[in-house]
Amino acid sequence: MATTHARAAARLMISPSVILLLGWMLIPLCMTLYFSVLRYNLLMPGDTPFAGIENYQYFLTDPAFTTALINTLVLVVGVLVVTIVGGTLLALLLDQPMWASGIWRILVIAPFFVMPTVSALVWKNMFMNPVNGLFAHLFKALGLAPFDFLAQAPLLSIIGIVSWQWLPFATLILLTAMQSLDSEQIEAAEMDGAGALSRFRYITIPHLGRAATVVILIETIFLLSVFAEILVTTNGGPGNASTNLTYLIYAESLLRFDVGVGSAGGVVAIILANIVAIFLMRAIGKNLDA
Amino acid sequence: MGHISLNKVRKAFGDVEVIPPLDLQINDGEFVVFVGPSGCGKSTLLRLIAGLEDVSSGEIEIDGRPSAELPPAKRGLAMVFQSYALYPHMSVRKNIAFPMKMAGVSAEEQERRIAAAASALNLTDYLDRKPGQLSGGQRQRVAIGRAIVREPAAFLFDEPLSNLDAALRVGMRLEISELHKRLATTMIYVTHDQVEAMTMADKIVVLRAGRIEQVGAPLELYENPRNLFVAGFIGSPRMNFIEGPEAAHHNAHTMGIRPEHIDVSATQGQWQGRIGVAEHLGSDTYFHVHDTGLAETITVRASGEVALRHGDTVFLTPQADKIHRFNNEGLKQ
Ligand SMILES: Nc1ncnc2c1ncn2[C@@H]1O[C@H](COP(=O)(O)OP(=O)(O)OP(=O)(O)O)[C@@H](O)[C@H]1O
Ligand SMILES: [Mg+2]
Repeated sequence: MATTHARAAARLMISPSVILLLGWMLIPLCMTLYFSVLRYNLLMPGDTPFAGIENYQYFLTDPAFTTALINTLVLVVGVLVVTIVGGTLLALLLDQPMWASGIWRILVIAPFFVMPTVSALVWKNMFMNPVNGLFAHLFKALGLAPFDFLAQAPLLSIIGIVSWQWLPFATLILLTAMQSLDSEQIEAAEMDGAGALSRFRYITIPHLGRAATVVILIETIFLLSVFAEILVTTNGGPGNASTNLTYLIYAESLLRFDVGVGSAGGVVAIILANIVAIFLMRAIGKNLDA
Repeated sequence: MGHISLNKVRKAFGDVEVIPPLDLQINDGEFVVFVGPSGCGKSTLLRLIAGLEDVSSGEIEIDGRPSAELPPAKRGLAMVFQSYALYPHMSVRKNIAFPMKMAGVSAEEQERRIAAAASALNLTDYLDRKPGQLSGGQRQRVAIGRAIVREPAAFLFDEPLSNLDAALRVGMRLEISELHKRLATTMIYVTHDQVEAMTMADKIVVLRAGRIEQVGAPLELYENPRNLFVAGFIGSPRMNFIEGPEAAHHNAHTMGIRPEHIDVSATQGQWQGRIGVAEHLGSDTYFHVHDTGLAETITVRASGEVALRHGDTVFLTPQADKIHRFNNEGLKQ
């Protein structure tokens, strides 16, 4: 019963978690905002005078900022494209009746359980190493010069590593969506004269729209803040070639010990993430409406 | 054209034989209804004809052409599914246009056929809606519209009305019958509702466990059921079956008498019993009569209102010329 009394009691009951959540989010946010307007460098201990927008000016005019911004977007878009396309194809494959399908499914999902640091290390040392890596051996076996992935195509290599981690997630969500497709719809399309390709294009893909939207939104949140893979493999280099915003903030605040500029970068990143979120919801959010 | 013939068609899923070898002729323009209890293989048979399942052995000929190698789309048949199977992300117009788009029909021709189908099915106002924004009956009509525009050799319906409420079902039943009269196309219609079967069919096929029990016109089945199963399945309420001395008295192992062929009297008659439940419908009155010593209950249908109540003693008299006699194998004598 939604009486006034019951509602008051309900509010009282949920208030601890609401307060906890608010504190959890608001305190760090406010402190970041506060630090971002201070001249606060750990190499110069002592007073932390008010600096106005100086930190922001410094961060935004840093030539590395534009590069990092572009790299961030390229990374997000690249991984999204690979995981959505690859995930759809893998889901299609796993949806076929085949021998030991349970085992295949678990194998495909496995990379998702590997920690980012570990998977980046494995890729860096086992696959991409120009001397001992499997790819190097493969190239040599084919009579080609080994390709130093992390030095010559650092951003692409990181896109590859991160895609490998997120492919299982996309596959899993798209596979469940594919399995929820009413088989009578497929049969109806078959009777209507649609071949396998037309059925995929006109029935399956529209049906996957909502699941793909969920994948895009969730992945974007995480991909905007990719960090461990970069730290472990390229350290943002060579130069700034594989520095994204998260890594740039890390470099400012922890490598240069400048808490003020790091915080300003954090605030800029929050704003950019929100712009991306608004843009995404405008573009594909309507898929989520029933 | 829509002549379909099934020769020794057999279907097994793994070891389970769902349809033992079966022969059936469906003539051009006929409205054929498959009836039978749940799980008897009606849908399977329909899907075999549609080509959505492969026959295990035997042959299906459509207009004289063996269809073994023909994929569903090439058989010239249109199917209306129980769940309607509309494409949820397409508007009604696009749903109806889909088969024509796949067949490469020109845009003007598509428009013309959509308009014709929409006006025939009262869908003109809904063409730009999505299926999710339609009522059950409207969705059903869209599914039928999508079938009509293909101008198929035959329509296949798999329990198309079972998701609708009673009133709507009666309405749609009439619409489908009218559609059949107008198009004069072969229709195969699956149902387990024997009222639908009786009212719509030119020919009823009664199935049990994949076997054809009897094929015939509705009244033929009603008046002349070949065995106990058909006798019990066709007609509502069910035929009464009486065994023992009374049946022997009529020279049968089992005698059958329909509820509407028993006369009721408060004063005199052949059998005496006590009324259990009395259902007064106004137009008819159904009595469930106990303690007759013949069978657990005898159902009787009296025309109009009969002023007998629960607990009253009644006398029943079967109409002698309407008695069905079955031998000990359940076959009509
Ligand atoms: N793909 C399948 N694999 C194995 N058995 C099946 C399969 N499809 C149907 N059957 C079996 O075949 C029998 C007939 O099924 P079918 O769907 O044709 O029944 P039906 O007459 O349409 O019943 P209903 O009135 O409930 O729809 C059932 O016993 C069912 O269990
Ligand atoms: Mg069925």
